[in-house]
Amino acid sequence: MEPSKELKREIKELIIESLKITDVKPDDIIDSASLFEETNALQIDSVDALEIVMALQRKYGVHIDDQNLGRFIIKSVDTIAEFIAKEQAAKQGL
Amino acid sequence: MKKGTMDNKTRYLHKMAAHCETGSVTGLLNHAGMNITEPMVFGISSGIFFAYLQSSKLPFPMFVTRNMPGSIRKKTAKRLGVVYKKSKPRDPRKASESLDALLAQNIPVAVQVDMFEMDYIPPHMKAHFNGHFIIAVGKEKDSYTVSDCYFPTLAQLSQTSMERARFARGDMAPHGLQYYVKQAPQQVDLRTPIRKGIKEAARNMVKLPIPFLGVKGIRLFARKLMEWPKLVRDEEHLSHEVMMISAILEERGTGGAGFRFMYATFLQEAAKLLNDAGLADMSKQMMGIGDRWREISLHAARIGKKKDLGPDRLKELSAMIMARADEEEKFFNQLLKIVG
Repeated sequence: MEPSKELKREIKELIIESLKITDVKPDDIIDSASLFEETNALQIDSVDALEIVMALQRKYGVHIDDQNLGRFIIKSVDTIAEFIAKEQAAKQGL
Repeated sequence: MKKGTMDNKTRYLHKMAAHCETGSVTGLLNHAGMNITEPMVFGISSGIFFAYLQSSKLPFPMFVTRNMPGSIRKKTAKRLGVVYKKSKPRDPRKASESLDALLAQNIPVAVQVDMFEMDYIPPHMKAHFNGHFIIAVGKEKDSYTVSDCYFPTLAQLSQTSMERARFARGDMAPHGLQYYVKQAPQQVDLRTPIRKGIKEAARNMVKLPIPFLGVKGIRLFARKLMEWPKLVRDEEHLSHEVMMISAILEERGTGGAGFRFMYATFLQEAAKLLNDAGLADMSKQMMGIGDRWREISLHAARIGKKKDLGPDRLKELSAMIMARADEEEKFFNQLLKIVG
């Protein structure tokens, strides 16, 4: 299932909120670019990644147990959105 | 991501896994025809544990959240009837000859390595760790095809790097350790191994009369944390050590929350196989305990990163750890009652 634009925007807002960032807006974050690299508006580290994992868990009720796999999920807004969309579809039995 | 890639020659199916030792044992067992998951291997091997270690031989106190390295292989041998052939060739030349001879017979081999020497890991992610396990699945000219459960696909490793990695010096030096599955049962009734695995793990957590092991070790950790400011060189050092709490729990191949999530998954699988609603409930409880260990990870990472490390912050962290000790003591006593 292709994640919606709304979901991606929601995720960007959640990232900004959970990392308490004031100088980056959702539109500044490139969906496909790595969140860990400076090519994106954010350059997150492992602590930030954990903050995002916890925020996703609280908002969407998903569980990202393994940080090794988590790194692939948290890689970009696109990968997070794909994961959330997949989890939501699985919950609804789609 | 978990679907995996196949080596054409050996038909070894590469899959990512949470932890290198459980992942490599699981990979070898799957290749040998056993249908078993990584959490099941972990649970049957009584993998869940806690120890707080402080010694003049260690540069700084540390904690571990699983049983001894090597235990996963030994316990699966004992409880599942798997026969492994383990060896420690004396020097790099003999080690390569031995490994190459097995690969020539299409036998995948687990080898202990220094992670730093893995050619496929990007330079900025390289770090020395001698306790890493990979599976060598083939060799063409001077290049090995390896399955590293932390890497998404099969990878290539040069013979020079492999030799350096297998004979790296320092803590946990591999000394050329390699092993492979010689014989594995195709059909195993997992019910008894599951019960034995749970019983031993629960006893290790709540019955050992040693102050730094199991739940007692968690309590010791909570108390000793308050003394860390006296052990460090400066604020930078304290910040590093406090952030290491998060790294040990979340980033070192634990499956998250210091193996607690992996154990919860094991209990869920065990509940199904044993048709035991009590174990299913324990799985949910363990998932909650894991979530609360993850809150500790996050708190430690936050205060470490901000260098907000005054006594009040450490006291908060200590109280969170102490609460996990209380919770795990109750949990493992209850688990012991369920498995009798």
